[in-house]
Amino acid sequence: MSETEMDPKKHLDEMTLMLYVERQLDRERAQEVSLHTQTCTRCLTLLRALDRESRLLTRAMLEQEEPLPKRLAEFRGMVKRSMQWIWGLVFGLAVSGVYGLYAFYIEPWEKELEQAGFGSTNLLSLLVFQGAFWKGWQSMFTLFEVLAIAVLAGTAAFAFRKYLRRGSALAMVFASLGLMLAITPATSAIESRKGDTVTVAKDENIKGDIFLTGNHIRVEGNVDGDVFAFGQQVDISGHVTGDVIPFGQSVRISGQVDGNVRAFANNLTIGGSVTRNVLTFNQVFNLEQSGSIDRSLTLFGQTVTLDGKIGRDFLAFFQQASISGTIEGSLRGKGESLSINSGAMIGGNTSFEGDKPATISSEAKLASPMQFTKLEHHTGRERGFWFYFWKLVWTVAFVLLGLVLFGLFPSFAVHTMEAGEHYGAAFGLGVLVTFGLPIAAILACITIVGLVLGISTLFLYVFVLLCTGIVVGTIVGQWILGRTTEFWPLAGRMALGVLLVRIVTSIPFIGFWAKLAVVLWGVGAISLAVYRRLQPVVAPNIPSVPTAPLSSPLPPNTTVGGM
Amino acid sequence: MSAPGKTEPTDLIVRARTGDADAWGDLYREFAPAIFRFCRRAMPTHEDAEDATMEIFMKLRGKLGQYDPNRSFTAWLYKVAANHCWDMLRRRKGRQDKETDDIENVPLQHPDPNQLERLIEERSNEEVRNALGKVGVRARMALVMRYYSDMSYDEIADALGVRRAFVGVVLLRARHELRQALGENSAVAVGGTR
Repeated sequence: MSETEMDPKKHLDEMTLMLYVERQLDRERAQEVSLHTQTCTRCLTLLRALDRESRLLTRAMLEQEEPLPKRLAEFRGMVKRSMQWIWGLVFGLAVSGVYGLYAFYIEPWEKELEQAGFGSTNLLSLLVFQGAFWKGWQSMFTLFEVLAIAVLAGTAAFAFRKYLRRGSALAMVFASLGLMLAITPATSAIESRKGDTVTVAKDENIKGDIFLTGNHIRVEGNVDGDVFAFGQQVDISGHVTGDVIPFGQSVRISGQVDGNVRAFANNLTIGGSVTRNVLTFNQVFNLEQSGSIDRSLTLFGQTVTLDGKIGRDFLAFFQQASISGTIEGSLRGKGESLSINSGAMIGGNTSFEGDKPATISSEAKLASPMQFTKLEHHTGRERGFWFYFWKLVWTVAFVLLGLVLFGLFPSFAVHTMEAGEHYGAAFGLGVLVTFGLPIAAILACITIVGLVLGISTLFLYVFVLLCTGIVVGTIVGQWILGRTTEFWPLAGRMALGVLLVRIVTSIPFIGFWAKLAVVLWGVGAISLAVYRRLQPVVAPNIPSVPTAPLSSPLPPNTTVGGM
Repeated sequence: MSAPGKTEPTDLIVRARTGDADAWGDLYREFAPAIFRFCRRAMPTHEDAEDATMEIFMKLRGKLGQYDPNRSFTAWLYKVAANHCWDMLRRRKGRQDKETDDIENVPLQHPDPNQLERLIEERSNEEVRNALGKVGVRARMALVMRYYSDMSYDEIADALGVRRAFVGVVLLRARHELRQALGENSAVAVGGTR
């Protein structure tokens, strides 16, 4: 050792003696120390004192003076901790899902609609920015502002995670964020009414938004804001200057709505006037002769009767539709049958995709001839070059997505593959999540409060569905080429597996069942991996006082060096 | 460094690496008390020790894939724990005080052997643990790594980010600080660096 220099005429320094005790001196120097201490009482005393000091330190540190704290012995705290990273993952997945959904589905659909000359309706704008789902998007934050705040909050929480030492502190941060998001609509939506029969009387003037919950809901007066109605029967016969968002079995709008109508109802009847757009999901839709929609109608329903007037375009997915009224813009429909009756007038393009051509009365007035496309029920007949070309493009896209995901979450990817190999558990959980999650998300949407959570979950769900091919592909690839956890070999297996999965799922007739199996298996594997991540690292019911021999994992007493 | 008399939980580790929650539970049950005591000695407060213990085991889930089964699991576990605790302490240290970076140059006074003997005889385990809380973070960390988890000088050097030859100085200074803390409540004070 170079720390000390020996001089037989002087006392040894403490460092040398300590290193001797610790057995850190080389043999030659250790012998010198040994010889010196045989003749020097002072150095021997110090050597012994240092040795005893070492023993005291080890003894004091190894002593088990207290049991494992309850917080550590119980698993709940661990779950809370493990949740911290999962939020980042979930948020990342949700954002990726939003982007994937937009890039893969909404944008192409939008373009298709535009190419089809579907008026000025911009579906994304309608759904999100014009607040077709929820006016809150436009009145308080745009989607991107919300995302930006969430990213900032997530980054801040990550950066300061060491200071967020208690779940309550973390909860406070997220509660503050939630408050920020909620405070703006809260300022305008302050009134709510509940009861069996809830009425806004004829002579009433409500300033601001109103929430109405009950079996029978009637709005006969004036509401200078939005109306949110949850009831069995909803009847709007008064004047609403904002939007109407009804959830009910039977909804009737016979009054005047200056904003949009976004309805989720079994039956929706519009006999009054709607100044802006209508977006509706229902079984039966009826626009009465006296009813009018100044802008567009977007409809997802079973039976549609249209006797009134639509100011712009009409986009509908239905089983049966009967049109006797006026559509000043275009009509684009998809369904089983369409009937355009006498008295009907369509100012723009008319296109229909269905099983059989639309029945058009000779007395109906159409600005342009009906463009009919027979609804293709997929068979092997149409499989030409482009079919296979796009299949290949999609396969490459999935492989690239897989590479990105493997790069971002290498550990999770490996765990997902391992989870997928527990076939029974993966399929079981897959069935549960595949069918249960969207139902839960839709239920969350209905509560309004959970709307953001519900929509985010649906986006995430779609993204997970997209990933199932990658998961199953990788497992299949590992069957063929053997297991690995290295990035590029794993990527190679994934590419091979995804290709095989795409081929199998493209086979006519069995392709559907193969696809279903892939979805269930993949969703199950991902869910199982997430579930295991969320699992506490301790088994439940561990007693506060540990049962394992406490000293067993400990090193030996190091008294005079443990090297 | 290993844990003699202790069979390495190879099977548990293999199962835990595949995400088996029960195996994780068993590993935790077996090692959490020791790791908590390590953290309790190394960290300034009980709460910090609890947090650190949990974080170490959370970290372990991600790191278990890096564990080399040919090495001692206990030694590896203590290394992970030491690195984690030192990271936590160092970040705080940067804010709270500027621990003597020039410690290498501080002369160490030679203690009176008899006084040192007397001090050691008079002090209980509990007093030593209490005194441990009064010494600087690096000194405490070094003592814990050496005398609790039996880490080698190389491992201590690696964890503390100092040269191997400097570990002896750190440990000796730590002993002096501890003696001073032990002697604060009595007339006995042995040696020191200040």
